[in-house]
Amino acid sequence: MRKASLRLIGILFILAIYAINGYAELNIKNSSKLFGTVKSAQGEALTGVNIIISGNNFFKGTVSDIDGKYEITTIPSGEYILKATFIGFKPIEIPITIDGNQDYKTNLNLNTDNFKLEDIQVNGKSILTKISEAPFEVAAVSTAKIQNSTTDVKAILNKVSGVRIQEEGGLGSNSTFSLNGFSGDQVKFFLDGIPIDNYGSSFSLGDIPVNMIERIEVYKGVVPVWLGTDALGGAVNIITNKKSKLLDFSYSYGSFNTHRASVNGTFTNEETGFMLKANAFYNYSDNNYKVNAPITNSNGNIVNYQDVERFHDRYKSGTVKIEAGVTNKSYADKLLFGIMGSANDKQVQTGVTMRTVYGGIVTNSQSFTPSIKYSKKDLFTEGLDISFSAAYNSSESQVIDTLKGITYNWLGERFVSTTSNGQVSEDGENYRTFTTLNDDDISSQLNLGYQINKTSSVSLNYAYNYFHRKAFDKEHPDEISNLFPNALNKHILGFAYQLNLNKKWNTTVFGKMYHLNTKASRVEDFALETQRTIEYRTNTNNWGYGIASAYFILPELQVKASYEHTYRLPKPEELFGDGLFIQANSDLGPEQSDNYNIGANYKYTFNSNHHIKIGGSYIYRNANDLIHTVAVFANPQTHFDNLSKTKAWGIEGNAEYNWKEIFHLSTNITYQKITDQAKRVYNESYTGTGWQRNFHYGFRVPNMPYLFGNINAGFSFNNVLLSASKLDFNYHLNYVDEYFLTWAEMGSNNEDYVIPQQTSHDIELSYSLKNGKYNISAECRNLLDAKLYDKFYLQKPGRAFYIKLRYNL
Amino acid sequence: MFQIKNVGKWALCGLMFCSSLLFTACDDEDNNNEYNGEDAFVLTMAIQGTDGTFTYYTTQFEDVMSGSLSALGQGVAQPGYYTYNQIDERIYCMGGMGENNLVALEKNTDGALEDIGGIASFDNSISELLETEDGQLLAVEVANTSDIISFQLLDKETVTITKTVNTAITDITDQVAPTYSGLVQSGNYVYLSYYISDPTTYATNYTDMARIAVFSYPELEFVKEITDTRTGPIGGFNTKSGLIKDENGDIYALSHSNPANGYSQTTKDGGILRIKNGETAFDQDYFFDIEAATEGKNTAHLKYIGNGKAFSLINQDDNSEQAAWSDGPLKAAVIDLYNGTVHYIDGIPEHAGTGRKLASTALYDDGSIYLCVPEDVSLNVYRVDTNNYTATKGAEVEANFVAGFFKL
Repeated sequence: MRKASLRLIGILFILAIYAINGYAELNIKNSSKLFGTVKSAQGEALTGVNIIISGNNFFKGTVSDIDGKYEITTIPSGEYILKATFIGFKPIEIPITIDGNQDYKTNLNLNTDNFKLEDIQVNGKSILTKISEAPFEVAAVSTAKIQNSTTDVKAILNKVSGVRIQEEGGLGSNSTFSLNGFSGDQVKFFLDGIPIDNYGSSFSLGDIPVNMIERIEVYKGVVPVWLGTDALGGAVNIITNKKSKLLDFSYSYGSFNTHRASVNGTFTNEETGFMLKANAFYNYSDNNYKVNAPITNSNGNIVNYQDVERFHDRYKSGTVKIEAGVTNKSYADKLLFGIMGSANDKQVQTGVTMRTVYGGIVTNSQSFTPSIKYSKKDLFTEGLDISFSAAYNSSESQVIDTLKGITYNWLGERFVSTTSNGQVSEDGENYRTFTTLNDDDISSQLNLGYQINKTSSVSLNYAYNYFHRKAFDKEHPDEISNLFPNALNKHILGFAYQLNLNKKWNTTVFGKMYHLNTKASRVEDFALETQRTIEYRTNTNNWGYGIASAYFILPELQVKASYEHTYRLPKPEELFGDGLFIQANSDLGPEQSDNYNIGANYKYTFNSNHHIKIGGSYIYRNANDLIHTVAVFANPQTHFDNLSKTKAWGIEGNAEYNWKEIFHLSTNITYQKITDQAKRVYNESYTGTGWQRNFHYGFRVPNMPYLFGNINAGFSFNNVLLSASKLDFNYHLNYVDEYFLTWAEMGSNNEDYVIPQQTSHDIELSYSLKNGKYNISAECRNLLDAKLYDKFYLQKPGRAFYIKLRYNL
Repeated sequence: MFQIKNVGKWALCGLMFCSSLLFTACDDEDNNNEYNGEDAFVLTMAIQGTDGTFTYYTTQFEDVMSGSLSALGQGVAQPGYYTYNQIDERIYCMGGMGENNLVALEKNTDGALEDIGGIASFDNSISELLETEDGQLLAVEVANTSDIISFQLLDKETVTITKTVNTAITDITDQVAPTYSGLVQSGNYVYLSYYISDPTTYATNYTDMARIAVFSYPELEFVKEITDTRTGPIGGFNTKSGLIKDENGDIYALSHSNPANGYSQTTKDGGILRIKNGETAFDQDYFFDIEAATEGKNTAHLKYIGNGKAFSLINQDDNSEQAAWSDGPLKAAVIDLYNGTVHYIDGIPEHAGTGRKLASTALYDDGSIYLCVPEDVSLNVYRVDTNNYTATKGAEVEANFVAGFFKL
């Protein structure tokens, strides 16, 4: 019966695994779980306490987590001794009897040792450390210490080496994410392992508050198979709160009438295993910060430049996500059904640069996403783990430009465009439109992992993605490009073999199969006698592969190397065009890249109070067949083709110093050189072959920052004024060297097309009471009110102040 | 078993690999030695990025007949889509990066080219900018996404807009979305030629007559539409050669309706019509039957060079054989508007055009035409003697195409 239902699950949920876990756990029938919380006599949760259960030739241990919680599973029946040891505290030993039919909750209290130790040495490795020590080039950022900040996922990512986010403005503004020079669809995003690429603009990185997430993992260049994706340059996985019990309310208010609220809660009934998770957030900003902009008069002449407030840049967004299910059941470690709804609404203030100003264009988007997540360890047999997730996303987004014959200037003045006989033009501000896009997206992941023996394990991933888009423009109902919906099916199969010969060395070898299957019908020669409908099909297979390995030369020094030959499959609009200006190219292949990483990390503690971490890595990327539209001359029509090549190399360094828990200083710097490697360019030109010399061969690719870094420093004091209180002061510096919008080697007036050097300083003060239950913080961003630009001539906000209140149970 | 020795070797290989890359990558230095003297040839060189976008570099050269011409470290860079016109001592640049600006370049006191800034912004991109007979600038915006045609008069010195007159397209024609093809101001009138091309499919379903909209000058009010059925529509896609004016103020209107320059059908033979100075009707006594003079060929490109003569690039395929949107194969010629004759130029290979305005991409200076001709994978300057109908090959141009050829 059980087997049958499992088989059913196997059929229903396609298949795969989280193969990260090293050693198989002992699987013994009639076993129990022991769990609880470790606290000091003062009631403070203790992190990193060693907890060991032993007896009957059985020995198993764990380390308490950040909330002091511990859990030891699969303990066979018998008599045991439970030991808890922690530096600076008296060890305790408790006899305990386990009968194997039930789970036991045992809370532990430790008393301070008589002799005081200078330092608390944490022996257990945190999840963050474990991810960082994986052979992949991965940056894992914990949000534990910044929960009182008003920051969001976008801002956190911007502090990761190799990552640059180029923003057009304030909250909700468009932004470009780049990782080691790759951007757009070349880098894939996940929320708890589920792709969010196609969630639409209603759920974007800038919306996600820090309180919703536990950590972010940035995989550079080499992406583990369990993420199951066609990423050319890497992947970002955002992990939401994983605690089994949580309640967190926060609200912040600040400059430009910015409000951000979030509620996050998790409830778990430890007896029935019922779990309920809820996350909700709301963001609002008028974004009415001051910019220096050209003022035009009714004739269109620029009269002068003035500091003016942005007047049409209001942004609001909200998301509610609820998951319910069970944990720790015989048929599932976790089975969660979820539903997420999100929406946003945005006014559009500018065009490509601030020379174009709008006063009526708005965009909005709503999406709705049901999901399912299932995971089980030791499924049919010991060592066989399964996890499955699937989500369906339906989103609707609109672009509305329906003000007729109106133009605005930066003072917010309206000018009406009338003809000489008094008729008002019906033109939109940019292009009159009321376009609705309806997207349907299904994505699913199946991971299977099997621990063959103590040293080796295998894992298999299958990911499936379906995407369908329909567009309709109410103002132009006959728009031909909207008549042909885009659809595609993407299958990615990955296989990995992990070898952990000893604790020092671990290696993963993997292969991936990318299968793209598309079918679409299109009309050719529209409006001509030869008009006909043609069915386009593509069916392509590509094979990627890679290896990642890490070795501890010394206990403090780990070296890593990884390589992947990877692909990014073309998007439907790239394959099929828009039926108008962009024509179909069924021969279009995927973009491909060979990505190499070499890195080393060193950790050292001296005088038991001083902790130092230093890391460095070298990245090399060789990307080919990059997809662009073909340049055309006497022709308004074009198509996508595999045209260009780039090479990138970069050096990233980071250093961190901690003195006790009181002071920390960390910095990272990235230098990257991304060059154009295509010897020829293609255009529908007069040369017969279409190929011409590329005059930029070997030059640095423009509009990509090449030198940037961060410094973070902070003090943290316990028991200031009141007991169980904490006062934190943090400083953050962000630096980006100037970079060129155009090719630096060409022309003499490059200073006209420079995105100038940016240095911004942020400071933050926060005070917590009752061990972090009540929190208040104040922040000042861009302290020196520097004029900041990421995009050419699109000014970002100046100095801004925020205050945040947070309640955390 | 894996040993530490191997790790070391591996790491060493990696380090060597990294350092080799470090040493091979060094930045190029600027080497600006741009010519800043008198009578500079000014080329606007368009260079394509591998992403298919172009940046334009307007650069001065003393000599265009030898060596190679490069924008490396020199020239005024303009990213985006631009078209260029020289009027007196300024080069006007129309277009921009997602914008519709008018920018002027002129020589500063050191002789270097200087961008005097984007002074005015427009709702749609400027289709044409010309100097009026009374010394003002006249701009027109004709966009097939708009329901109006907009004229602007600008002060020539300050390049500021002094007058804007909009005319509803429905007042001019019962067809939708006219495509701009030519503009001339002569005496009391402004003549605007256009053809009808479906804004979504580019199908040209109305090719049975020539149409010109006549506006009063300087009021810029619509007067009438004039038509002629002896030939098809005036002008073609983006070539802006539909109308030219001679020293008498007479206007010559060119029709070709050929697939290589944006037509999906041809229903009338190509030819040139005339409107006499001060008239608002086609001269029924004049018709230059180009197809008769060229054994059935057509041209979409004219640059007036004086005394009734125009430099032209004539498509060597009959309309029925042309590849759509190809703007080629072209052969250089001088045509005599008064006598109805065509003289081909020797010494320039047949080539494809850039589909742009010949009046800007070819320079007429002291009896010679200078233009850039693509050959194989290179682009070369040719100097044409318009009296002897011969040509000489000059410098190689390190650009993908040339958007402007001027002299300042």
